[in-house]
Amino acid sequence: MTPHGESYVSTPRVGHFDGPRASGTLAERQAALVAALVAGAPDPPGFDPTRLAAARRALLRKRAGEAAKHWPVLAASLGPRWSAAFAAQHAGREPGGALRDGWDVARALRAELTADAARELRDREARWRYAGVRPPRPRRLRAALRTLAARR
Amino acid sequence: MGAPPAGEDRAAVDRGGSTADRRPGGPVASVRGTDAPDRPFAVDGVGVGWRPEIAGWVADVSDLGFCEVIAESIAPAGPPRGVVDLRARGVPVIPHGIRLSLGGAEPLEPARVAQLAACADVLGAPLVSEHIAFVRAGGREAGHLLPVPRTREALDVLAGNVARLSAELTVPVALEVIAALFDWPDDELTEPEFLAAVGDRTGALLLLDVANVYANAVNRAQDPRVVLDEILDLVPADRIGYVHVAGGSARHDEAGYYHDTHTDPVPDAVLGLLAHLVERAPGVPVLLERDGGYPPAAVLTAELAAIAEAAR
Repeated sequence: MTPHGESYVSTPRVGHFDGPRASGTLAERQAALVAALVAGAPDPPGFDPTRLAAARRALLRKRAGEAAKHWPVLAASLGPRWSAAFAAQHAGREPGGALRDGWDVARALRAELTADAARELRDREARWRYAGVRPPRPRRLRAALRTLAARR
Repeated sequence: MGAPPAGEDRAAVDRGGSTADRRPGGPVASVRGTDAPDRPFAVDGVGVGWRPEIAGWVADVSDLGFCEVIAESIAPAGPPRGVVDLRARGVPVIPHGIRLSLGGAEPLEPARVAQLAACADVLGAPLVSEHIAFVRAGGREAGHLLPVPRTREALDVLAGNVARLSAELTVPVALEVIAALFDWPDDELTEPEFLAAVGDRTGALLLLDVANVYANAVNRAQDPRVVLDEILDLVPADRIGYVHVAGGSARHDEAGYYHDTHTDPVPDAVLGLLAHLVERAPGVPVLLERDGGYPPAAVLTAELAAIAEAAR
């Protein structure tokens, strides 16, 4: 029996979802799949939607874990709610990198951050320039120190 | 199959039929370095994936056979102190790439190839590893490893990309079987058939992740041991570079799928599968991957001991 309580099947070709298949080059089909998994595009034809949904959740959880390493105080302040807060912010939005992904969560929750989490956000803002549109860019060192000193 | 062939025979195998598919300039490196002509594998024993969070624990592991570092996480010009110390002790370190997208139909990014090659050089690595997967397409990052369709077309892509990578390397490449929650409707081959074909077409070694074999099998309602046996029937033991073991769980998912999290303990069922693998491929090197949810050092030590026991 499998861990799901099902009997094992003899054919190794299960996991397929019967239906039409997408046309196009492999590059196009891969792009359509990534868009469906991370950017809110419709599922490509032929894939099992239940399994794609599970993959979508797994990708969000993976991103949340990586963002937590860049935003340890913020993640810790949310505790078990971190994954849900991350998913609420990022479901259907493609990855922007762990720093940016976590930053988006911090900005969305700015009004309710703990003092420590707010300090973590200020520290990032002192060192990086990020307005939510383009990827974060490092500020110049002297400007960063000035900003940090003024805010502390 | 019998015992793996001796070094000279192995080099001959590497120059054999599968290399016909490689492009000019591709590698014909033997898996065995010239410094170890009579060893069946490029590394030995039980290893650990080096991560900064557990660097202190890794440094204290007794009888550490080898390590892996995430290639994208280090600066080749200045690897982390803990990794440098391991190299100074003679512990082999394998750069493990996670973002090359070797299964991607779009061209490889030259800077990523150069990064992996530079890691291999600076670490004096016996081999490098990457995945049978793609991670980006159409200008979007997926954020994790995605499966390629098990088709002839995907084999062509992998063969071309591995040849481009290998042209920058002086050591062999091992390609890892990933954990995938879904399959492509395009699939023409079973996973064991596909893994064997990837080895034939690319000339790469197989990085056999038993936890991923387990995850894929249970999520497809297959018997993991049967699937593993099918892989080992098609992929000779001397084409296995090394083995990964990692933790996972079904508790994170409402649909009940088993997830290869690397943040949970290694389940007993995966240890049992490892023991079966080692029965069929004696002496295969085994590495524990842990990427978060780090337990106390004593728990990691016990887990590594259980892996070493299963791999004896």
